[in-house]
Amino acid sequence: MSKRGIKGALKALCAPLLLMLSGCSKSGLFLLEPKGLISQVTYHYFNLDVGIMLLIIIPTALLAIWAMWRYRKGGGGDYRPEWSHSYLIEAIVWGIPLITVGVLSYLSIKAIYQVNPYNPGAISSKGTAAGKPLDVDVIATDWRWLFIYPKQKIASVDRLVIPAGVPVRFRLTSTSVVNDFIIPQLVGMIDVMPGMRTKQALVADKTGQYVGYSADYSGAGLSWMNFETKAVTKAQFAAWVKKTQAAPQTMTYADFNRFAKPYLAVHHHRMVFGRVQSGLLDYVVREVMSGKVWRTPMAMTENMVRYMKKQQANVKAGEY
Amino acid sequence: MFVHLQGPWNPVWGRLSLQAIPYQNPILVGTFLFAMIAALAIVGAVFYFRAGPYLWREWFTTVDHKKIGVMYCLLGLVMLFRGFIDALMIRSQQAMAVGPHSPGYLGALHGYLTPFHIGQVYTAHGLIMVVFAATPLLVGIMNIVVPLQIGARDMAYPYLNALGFWLTAAAAALVMLSLFVGNFAHGGWYGFLPYFELPYSPGVGVDYWMWAFQLSAIGTTMGSINLIATIVKMRAPGMTWMRMPIFTWASLSTNLIALTSFPVLMVSLALLGLDRYFGTHFYTAGQGGNLMLYNDLFWVWGHPEVYFLILPAFGMMSEIIPTFSEKTLFGYATMVVASFAIGGVSWGVWLHHFFTMAAEPSVNSFYSVTTMLVGIPTGVKVFNWIFTMYRGRVRFELPMLWALLALFLLLVGGMTGMMNAFAASDYMWHNGVFVVAHFHMMVLLIASSIFGAVEYWFPKVFGFKLEQRWGKWFFWFMVLGTAWVFVPMFILGFAGMTRRLDYVPVTQWAPYLRVMLVGMAFYVVALGFFVAHLYVSLRDRMKNRVGADPWGTTRNLEWMTHSPVPAYNFAFIPRVHARDEWAWRKEHGMANLGNESFEDIHMPRNTGVPVLLGALSFALCFALVWRIWWLAAACLGLVVLVIILRSFARKTDEVIPATTVAGVERAAQDALASPARG
Ligand code: HEM
Ligand SMILES: [Cu+2]
Repeated sequence: MSKRGIKGALKALCAPLLLMLSGCSKSGLFLLEPKGLISQVTYHYFNLDVGIMLLIIIPTALLAIWAMWRYRKGGGGDYRPEWSHSYLIEAIVWGIPLITVGVLSYLSIKAIYQVNPYNPGAISSKGTAAGKPLDVDVIATDWRWLFIYPKQKIASVDRLVIPAGVPVRFRLTSTSVVNDFIIPQLVGMIDVMPGMRTKQALVADKTGQYVGYSADYSGAGLSWMNFETKAVTKAQFAAWVKKTQAAPQTMTYADFNRFAKPYLAVHHHRMVFGRVQSGLLDYVVREVMSGKVWRTPMAMTENMVRYMKKQQANVKAGEY
Repeated sequence: MFVHLQGPWNPVWGRLSLQAIPYQNPILVGTFLFAMIAALAIVGAVFYFRAGPYLWREWFTTVDHKKIGVMYCLLGLVMLFRGFIDALMIRSQQAMAVGPHSPGYLGALHGYLTPFHIGQVYTAHGLIMVVFAATPLLVGIMNIVVPLQIGARDMAYPYLNALGFWLTAAAAALVMLSLFVGNFAHGGWYGFLPYFELPYSPGVGVDYWMWAFQLSAIGTTMGSINLIATIVKMRAPGMTWMRMPIFTWASLSTNLIALTSFPVLMVSLALLGLDRYFGTHFYTAGQGGNLMLYNDLFWVWGHPEVYFLILPAFGMMSEIIPTFSEKTLFGYATMVVASFAIGGVSWGVWLHHFFTMAAEPSVNSFYSVTTMLVGIPTGVKVFNWIFTMYRGRVRFELPMLWALLALFLLLVGGMTGMMNAFAASDYMWHNGVFVVAHFHMMVLLIASSIFGAVEYWFPKVFGFKLEQRWGKWFFWFMVLGTAWVFVPMFILGFAGMTRRLDYVPVTQWAPYLRVMLVGMAFYVVALGFFVAHLYVSLRDRMKNRVGADPWGTTRNLEWMTHSPVPAYNFAFIPRVHARDEWAWRKEHGMANLGNESFEDIHMPRNTGVPVLLGALSFALCFALVWRIWWLAAACLGLVVLVIILRSFARKTDEVIPATTVAGVERAAQDALASPARG
């Protein structure tokens, strides 16, 4: 083995410890670097929850280690083979978990209402101070995200642009199967289901770029079904809207039917649409409810390289 | 035909055609060659040693609960190996396929497995590990130990016992066959709706998954009926409820869970079958279907199922820890209550598997709290094990090492489970690798208990102890592997990494994925030590022969009879005087009974019908998967016919004459007296 090989192997061996120490700076540890109101509230409760539990778990682990060491055979601990009951200990061993679970339950319920996707307490408690919300309709297809801004009548594929500091309210649905919408640094998951509409809400604190993706298994394109979230200033947002409205491409119901065919977003094709027929999300929900399906081909990615060639040819032919 | 099928179908072969055989995939061709060589070696050995008749007479047609238990365990071990290979593939693919510049091979853009293939791999991994590895191993051990612990001669329904095993084996064979004929489901072990409907999963993969799952569910339900009846009705005289060994209590609780929850699974799968075969709309998105219905039904089974797996493991820990602490279990009554509390609460928590489904906050709050309640009895158990060691004399022999590892894994798994139960946090990592790491702590706890239990009860079943040196190496490398795989996985959980990725888009995660691969290397080494452990143990079996009570400080009835246990278990059904009867007898000088007036023993007779029914069910499911209607109809007809014919059988039992019993008992005594032949 070469010197580099040995060093590499050593590094790999010690890595779990190093990784733990190096902690959470620009490291891809998204949940530990919350950048939005909702994710920060979640993170706060997460810390409380873990802290309280560690208060119990660590002493318990130490107690276990102490007991097995102190009372090892030949270790000279006193030996009372018939001792098997004590009301005091029983009361303690039921009491401690009971109290802990009581406290945690209280915190959990509070947190659930704080980050309730339909009406997050964390946002609504700010009242109008939070600002006038922006509405975004989200449609998950196989396997792309279409973000529609109904008031602005524009849409964007696999790129979500939002103004920082402003509450964003989402309505979400899916064309075919269940997806999960998450932007880990801003907001947690919400199911995106066909024939149904769910909601979500978030506020981004600062401008910046955040990754978002689908979490529930939705088929072959899942690994590539991610989107970029750009939080920009209000002025930048207004400028972006204006620019997008000038884009030539439009999205009617008929266009959408073509757009929603299975598509592996390996080479993200981040289109924008300057005009979107209104009510598209409700149209999709209605269509799916009445039985519309976009079928997946058999053994689609058995050979992915070959399938991607086919897909690129189809794109050229204007099938999407 | 009621549904729209993609691809060809004909009346003779159904959907089956030569294209179903994946001869273009080098991985599968390699696997096929390996499987063929192994099969040829086994068949060759059977012929060479003329073992065929022996195997048929003594094993395939047996209704002896111990032999069935051993076969369950062997099945579980084989499937554990298969599941482990799957895990190796998942981990290596994810370590390779990070970032857009990672290379791709074998038709994959990145790594060497396309979404189509890795999907099958992790679906098979999950289903196999839960249903075909853990379940058979646990059921096998319950099968062996419970009748012995309660002083019975066999199960309440020996024939049903064999049938349950052969159905499970048929289901496992179906999963294995999907490797070489067609393909397996590629969405995840618990099924996704409507993804598993025909328009999105048009191949036969989901059908394989569905029928294998269904068949094993039937097998497990039969097993649970049997164990419940055995425990309730066949306890030795004097064994009141509160004198029952704690593992038997755990078995009762766990099988009550199985009996009440497995039928729900069968229904949820059957409704999916109706959708896929008859075009109904139970779980479709449109036309009145409700995909949430599947989630509800599945997890109404799925959550109790995880407790079905863990309670026997807890039972095993509760047997091993007292023996190697040389002390009675602390808080017996509490342990019983806790087992049933866990079982009871487990029915009321299923919604925590889909907190993100946009239920009302009040609903999520309810299920968050009920889920946390499970933590209470679980915590109590941990404390009771610790207080069992307290004021004991702890011996760190192999079974005890495994039990202690299980205890520490429970601390981690329990804590992370409680973190999942905190719904607001769960929104961040549901469907993420944090959840995966949580339940792997739990299933590794189960695996540890199983390894401990095998070490512990092996001498009882086979009459010799397993060696300890290689076994300890095996143990420590399992510990190493677990640390190196799951510490990074928890960190990736906090990173927000999601499950079931074929390709990892976030390049910062690469180092963690590589470290996990190092962990897998430790596991591979551990596997090597395991083989050495078995080999050396078998080689030295004569040297390591033991008597009835190989550990010296055991407490329950099973250690009273000979090792290996004779076919009839006990020459005399023991009278029970106390909880921990065997310990009580040793204390009161009643360890040696030496009764000479043996009696005839009435036992069930071997039968080949369960094997036949297993084979027919296998063919039936195969025909259904490929939609070969004539074959399905024929097999179904035969199954019904065989069941009816069997119900007329009269000679289902036989008598072991007293003279034979006397001979066996004397031989067992002599074997111990004679010096070991090395
Ligand atoms: C203290 C006790 C436990 C609690 C509070 C708990 C809690 C949870 C929760 C809330 C989830 C859902 C997470 C999600 O999908 O977002 C979960 C998943 C899971 N748990 Fe546990 N759990 C506990 C014990 C166990 C045990 C004993 C097992 C036994 C094997 C187990 C196996 C699993 C499995 C297999 C899953 C995930 C299934 C899947 O998504 O594939 N858990 N647990
Ligand atoms: Cu659960």
